[in-house]
Amino acid sequence: MAVEILKEKNRSAVQELVLGATSENGGTRTKTITVGGDSALPFHQFEGATPNRPVVAMEVQDIKPEWNDAVLKYFADVADKPGAWAKKCVEEYGADLIYLKLDGAHPDGANRSVEQCVATVKEVLAAVGVPLIVVGCENEEKDHEVMTAVAEAAAGENLLLGFAETDNYKSLTAACMVHKHNIIARSPLDINMCKQLNILISEMNLALNRIVIDPSIGGLGYGIEYAYSILERARLGALQGDKMLSMPIIATVGFEAWKTKEAGASEADYPEWGPQEERGIMWESTTASALLQAGAHILLMRHPKSVEIVKKQIEQLMVSNAY
Amino acid sequence: MITCSVTFLPDNITVSVEKGKTIAEAAQIAGIKLKMPCGGEGSCGKCAVKVMSNRVSDNVEISLDQKFEQVLACQTEVSEDVTVEVPVNARLGEHQVLLSAEDDNALGTFAFEPLCWKVTITLSPPSINENASDWIRLKGELGKIVGDEEVIIGLPLLTNLAHMLRDASWQVTVTLLQQDGYVEVIDLQPGANDEPIYGLAIDIGTTTVVVYLVDLCSGKVLDRNGTYNKQAVYGDDVIARIIHSQEKNGLQELQDAVVNTIDELTNQLLKKTRIEGTGVKAITIAANTIMTHLFLGLDPKYIRLEPYIPTTSQFPAVKATEVGLRSVPNANIYCMPSVGSYVGGDIVAGVLYTGISQKDELTLFIDIGTNGEIVLGNKEWLISCACSAGPAFEGSGITCGMRAMHGAIERIQITPGTYETRYETVEDGKPTGICGSGLIDCIAKLHHVGLLDRAGRFTADTQDTNRIRNNEEGKEFVISWEKEAGVDNDIVITEGDIQNLIRSKGAIFAGIRCLLNSLQIDMEIVDKFYIAGGFGNYLNINDAIEIGLLPDLPHEKYQFVGNTSVKGAYMTLISRSALKAAVEIGRKMTYMELSVGNEFMDEFVSALFLPHTDLSLFPSVQSN
Ligand code: FES
Repeated sequence: MAVEILKEKNRSAVQELVLGATSENGGTRTKTITVGGDSALPFHQFEGATPNRPVVAMEVQDIKPEWNDAVLKYFADVADKPGAWAKKCVEEYGADLIYLKLDGAHPDGANRSVEQCVATVKEVLAAVGVPLIVVGCENEEKDHEVMTAVAEAAAGENLLLGFAETDNYKSLTAACMVHKHNIIARSPLDINMCKQLNILISEMNLALNRIVIDPSIGGLGYGIEYAYSILERARLGALQGDKMLSMPIIATVGFEAWKTKEAGASEADYPEWGPQEERGIMWESTTASALLQAGAHILLMRHPKSVEIVKKQIEQLMVSNAY
Repeated sequence: MITCSVTFLPDNITVSVEKGKTIAEAAQIAGIKLKMPCGGEGSCGKCAVKVMSNRVSDNVEISLDQKFEQVLACQTEVSEDVTVEVPVNARLGEHQVLLSAEDDNALGTFAFEPLCWKVTITLSPPSINENASDWIRLKGELGKIVGDEEVIIGLPLLTNLAHMLRDASWQVTVTLLQQDGYVEVIDLQPGANDEPIYGLAIDIGTTTVVVYLVDLCSGKVLDRNGTYNKQAVYGDDVIARIIHSQEKNGLQELQDAVVNTIDELTNQLLKKTRIEGTGVKAITIAANTIMTHLFLGLDPKYIRLEPYIPTTSQFPAVKATEVGLRSVPNANIYCMPSVGSYVGGDIVAGVLYTGISQKDELTLFIDIGTNGEIVLGNKEWLISCACSAGPAFEGSGITCGMRAMHGAIERIQITPGTYETRYETVEDGKPTGICGSGLIDCIAKLHHVGLLDRAGRFTADTQDTNRIRNNEEGKEFVISWEKEAGVDNDIVITEGDIQNLIRSKGAIFAGIRCLLNSLQIDMEIVDKFYIAGGFGNYLNINDAIEIGLLPDLPHEKYQFVGNTSVKGAYMTLISRSALKAAVEIGRKMTYMELSVGNEFMDEFVSALFLPHTDLSLFPSVQSN
């Protein structure tokens, strides 16, 4: 007798979202990237479609970052040249897209001007053909100026801009609407707050398929199980037809993984932990793969080797398991 | 027949009426409900409207406002086409329930039989054949009155008895007091004495204290008084108070604070009514478990620690002097029994007053105070839970918040576009602050006109209207300018206040959801919702739903019942059977602890939104 296999039927799917614009659509990208669209739990291809593979964005900063040497050494030649840095990520390390963080704008740091920030964005746009994710320096007032200017200067490029938060989402949302970009809605590891922010942004009339959610994550060993369950709840919500939870998910993997003690501590301090670089790579790629399983769509990463491992894993996960 | 058209603003409704009809009659045709407490006699002045154009022939004219002619709608006949503006305070609020009127019929099915009462008895003198002692002779007669219960007397009164009986020709007036299981003689007066005796019904809230002065002979409430609980200086909520009670002298300070609050309120009442404090014989107190502990000087320490155990939930009767009440030295005090550590005598009083435990209907009772307590049940069963809502709805911890007293803004309208405000205050006083119902109204209206997003942040900027401005911590909205207010500052609501209120309403709503979820009961099958709390004269159900404080259900299901804690205390003061019923309610009710598991937290966060993260729970609000 044939065994009847029970399959979960889902009412709805994750929103599909396009990043970047080619010349036909008023941009200068050589390719665009589509994320989301899943109509099943992550990689449950036997229950629904996973039309677009998760993507990896490599992180580039506008000033030389204070990163761990195990990562920074790969970019030593380009760390103060964002354009060249981005180009290296794409051409040498296979980044699907570039995540440009304008940390240098921070008033307590390098305090780069709005014009300088805009110039950096243009430099990176000119250097690579992949779509761009651009975020500010996380100073509310400065970001308001910088991101508004970036949105305007890059009108038509269909960027992904961050970060909108509950207390501070209006100006970025307005900029995204006027200049036709997408927004990252960031909430503090709580499914309700994640949903609330999406409602607030959509009530300003930004289309739902222009929002990506960053529900905040923790690195491996630092609360990743919370992140896992939030991502899972968001996906279940999306599949059950909750439009306000149906956006693709972005995860700040590199940032979280590399700030852990396990990734950053030197071998001299912890000989029993083994070689530091290998540890860091494993920490970053394991964090990424757990979140992939939970339903992340865009992974923001740093180390070339971790990127390689995760991209390979994505490829394998995308092999159809439908039956 | 000549007809005239009457246009009402700001509704912009025009109706035609026969010439000679009054504006009030025209308003009725237009469906505009005016306040007419004197019934159209022209004596209350509540129905005043502004004539914006044309003349009307008026019998009475008052000129409170120089710009327009103000006339009494009930007295003014329409003689030609006219436009009138109906001010907010001339309108009857939707869902307006007045408090004081209800007390008259508070007893419901319970008999009027005060806790303390007087009887005059004439004894037959003893003889050689009938030689029972004086007390047995008196006790025998009293027994006929009190029935089965034992009657006792203390030594001080006995010392006088022999002489008094003989001097007054065997006639004596006895003051009796119901105690738990027996009746005590607390006073003896020679002859027939009809001096009145009095009682107090008291609600000790975490934030406010309310006292009713009651004539025990008639059962009438002679006057009411309320103020903030002086314990507030030791912290806003019960947890802070418990912490303070553990400090050196802390427990004594807390007891003194609440006793002083009661003394102060009582002295004011006694002075006003010219009654001697010694005439007050009985007091009933309804309070949450912690307030009752602190009032009696019981250490509440273990209420806060798992597994949350109070010293007692049935409290002994005490004498006023034992707790240090000076205003009423002869009074005997009863505290309403509690259910658990976090559901106290105030809730038992509320259940008693609303009669939930006598009805077939499934009823949800919510008492919105510093603690939000919720009771669900009917005559078969009662289950309760509590959540910490904070004192915001009682006007505490809010920039311009205040108790619902003279001058408190309790209703607000905001004009879309211009953001001009109009408001109603308690007793039509000059505005001095905002009370709970005004705060609820304010948030609903701010969201309605688009000034507030669903997270409770102002969407508008200072350049959009001069009513929005920046303060140290964000933005604020000016409800009433200093020049129109009865205080030396603008009356504002700040973003911080709004966050505070959203947390309060979120806690209440989450509590309701958790209680119903745990019993797997749908909101829809609850027949009746009673809402209690010291909001003001009324609570606008529409607004309360709009901000997500109450579930989105048909308005008929709701009834606002005001401060049921003091009303329940009052019932037990004037009815011994009501007191017995209260004890029974306390025993019958079960308590559910919300802090077990994550559900409450999850529900709470999803309720921190206007009206709620799950908009599908509020279909009527969405369609607005
Ligand atoms: S109704 Fe009383 S004055 Fe008009």
